[in-house]
Amino acid sequence: MPNLIEVQNLGKSFGDNEVLKNISEEVTKGQVICVIGPSGSGKSTFLRCLNVLEDPTTGKVLFEGSNLTGISENELNNLREKMGMVFQSFNLFPNMNVIENIKLAPLRVKKMSDAAATQQAKELLEKVGLADKAEQYPQSLSGGQQQRVAIARALAMNPEVMLFDEPTSALDPEMVGEVLKVMQDLAESGMTMVVVTHEMGFAKKVADEIWFMAEGTIQEKGTPEKFFTAPKTERAQDFLSKILS
Amino acid sequence: MKKKSLFLFIIVFLLALITPLTHVNAASDNSLQQVKDKGTLVVGTSADYPPYEFTVKKNGKTKYVGLDISLAQKFAKDIGVKLKVKNMNFDSLLVALETHKVDMVIAGMNPTPERQKSVSFSNIYYTGDQYMLINKKDAAQFRKIKDFKGKTIGAQTGSLQYSLVKDQMKGNDVKGLAKLNDLVIALQSQKVNAVAMEEATAKAFASNNHTLKVINPGFDIDESQTGSAIGFSKGADSLVNAANKTIAMVKKDDLINKEYIPTAAKNMTSNSKTNSMANYWTYFVKGIEYTLIITVVSVFFGFMLGTLFAIMRLSRNRLAHALAVAYIEFVRGTPLMVQVMFVYFGIGAIIQSLPALIAGIIAVSLNSAAYVAEVIRSGIESIPAGQTEASRSLGMSQRETYRYIIIPQALKNIWPALGNEFVTLIKESSIVSIIGVTDLMYQMQLVQSATYKGVIPIFIAMVLYFIMTFGLSKVLGYFEGKMKHA
Ligand SMILES: Nc1ncnc2c1ncn2[C@@H]1O[C@H](COP(=O)(O)OP(=O)(O)OP(=O)(O)O)[C@@H](O)[C@H]1O
Ligand SMILES: [Mg+2]
Repeated sequence: MPNLIEVQNLGKSFGDNEVLKNISEEVTKGQVICVIGPSGSGKSTFLRCLNVLEDPTTGKVLFEGSNLTGISENELNNLREKMGMVFQSFNLFPNMNVIENIKLAPLRVKKMSDAAATQQAKELLEKVGLADKAEQYPQSLSGGQQQRVAIARALAMNPEVMLFDEPTSALDPEMVGEVLKVMQDLAESGMTMVVVTHEMGFAKKVADEIWFMAEGTIQEKGTPEKFFTAPKTERAQDFLSKILS
Repeated sequence: MKKKSLFLFIIVFLLALITPLTHVNAASDNSLQQVKDKGTLVVGTSADYPPYEFTVKKNGKTKYVGLDISLAQKFAKDIGVKLKVKNMNFDSLLVALETHKVDMVIAGMNPTPERQKSVSFSNIYYTGDQYMLINKKDAAQFRKIKDFKGKTIGAQTGSLQYSLVKDQMKGNDVKGLAKLNDLVIALQSQKVNAVAMEEATAKAFASNNHTLKVINPGFDIDESQTGSAIGFSKGADSLVNAANKTIAMVKKDDLINKEYIPTAAKNMTSNSKTNSMANYWTYFVKGIEYTLIITVVSVFFGFMLGTLFAIMRLSRNRLAHALAVAYIEFVRGTPLMVQVMFVYFGIGAIIQSLPALIAGIIAVSLNSAAYVAEVIRSGIESIPAGQTEASRSLGMSQRETYRYIIIPQALKNIWPALGNEFVTLIKESSIVSIIGVTDLMYQMQLVQSATYKGVIPIFIAMVLYFIMTFGLSKVLGYFEGKMKHA
């Protein structure tokens, strides 16, 4: 399996605060990885370094072999469209309705025709179960619906990989399921995914690999079965006991 | 396209900052030839000084008349060119001459030694005494200079009378105003006790207003300083010589006393017969038209340029950021009035044919841009960072992010503040009247001069300004309401 993303000696500091310490990992095509770990351990920062929303302080991030920190702004934009990202707070564009949110990047970045973009957007809305909401504005949707639109919006660029940063933690409990369902379908369709999450059930069921992160490093990784039944490090044992109790 | 011409504005503005303002005629004098080549003689004057120069309304049009204008016409005819009159504040006349906005200045101007340092004068064409205009009821009290002890005397700023009062009435306060009309209002409302004025002018005011009276207070006058002469830019000897020839002929036939002054007097009385406000509504209409043109065009350019400066200020490019900050702080830290004069006379020194209207629009636009930039910046900063991140993660560039995500949302937030800026500009644009743009303020002053009425035109202008700003606020409020539903 070829490496889609390769992280080499990645470090990130905010001033004196060293948030990520010398991380080296790989994501292969089709893999679903769940990143879990305590609050403040650097999970979001790590994810944001993968598509260079955050500039790494040291080290490299290779995507399909290109070093994302060593290329021009233009090339970076071109590669970013292949890395969809879904945020905790949805970040839909409130000045546009649902279908416009989805069509915007295909029209402006991919220069797709309006007809093609509309067609694609409708299919994606169908896929996330929101075909009837195309003309609504984000404010009038529930959190779960907004997050599903956000996923459709990212998918509209036909990405090679999807990055999720706690996509369900801003949602009311009854809406978590509908979003996880969409993500699970996506994983089953073969999408490469890196998911930061606190949803242990989802991680167990969907992940190929769990990365446990604490204090700015990946402390251990393994299949969900191994990780959840027999964590190797004390940090992980400690974390799991707190979560599961 | 539009952005390009805006850049040009900025470049011109910056050039003006580093280019020395005085424009020296290095070549040997060919001033007369230049005027003949142009075919027009551009004359600067300050048309609120009857009988020397003032305005009358003929067939709905403003006409400049008076003995100075008659003399200028004769001179233009003698050298075979057309006459074009440019009306401006007395204070601005010499600057206009230096910056070649006008070929000559004729405004009952006395060739004082100070002025001779920067201006070449013709021979004296007329000499009048220096009088005081007072309220009739004070006539018993005020006769000579010494009677005014401790009183406040008004005089036109930059005029000979102003210096006379300063020098010879040391115990008195001098109140200097740019417009004689305003001085006369001040006199009628007892803000000043007397206004020092040239004889013919003082008599003109008194004859048109029965509560006023003229006296000769007996200023100690150096004969050589009381005559009026025509001003030319320094070293324009050929024009001066040509003017002297005309003056000699005029003096030989005594044309000023026999022809020019009587004509002026006729114009003055015909003016005072028709000086009801209703006859001057076209003046106000034209003023509103110009005020709206200046405001609308300046709002447009101010907005475009302001957006640019806001983006520069927010940019990570240090140079762009520094330039924007410097510009915004500088413009917000200097008065609009100074900026208007700087653009007109400063940039005007480089682009000689820059019309006052364009100069006014440039200055007001540049000024507004700084304020708009700050409004837009605050609007942009109010958009959550998540919006930018979502957009960038979709592969959109910084530019596309601004264009499709940030600016549309920011605009919605700042619409009320931008609307306010629009309303403010209607009011602030009144300052362009000082460089002679015929906006509402300027037209109001023309009506004052033409009708010898001080307060009523001010009141009318005030009401008209209010109708414009209030109407605009209502319209903007309507759209604001509509945007909320979007
Ligand atoms: N832009 C920033 N500037 C300064 N410090 C930051 C910034 N972003 C994150 N940090 C710091 O980096 C550390 C890791 O933050 P990060 O958001 O990556 O943690 P996390 O594992 O995602 O936590 P959570 O589970 O709460 O989301 C924290 O100490 C945080 O304060
Ligand atoms: Mg986080």
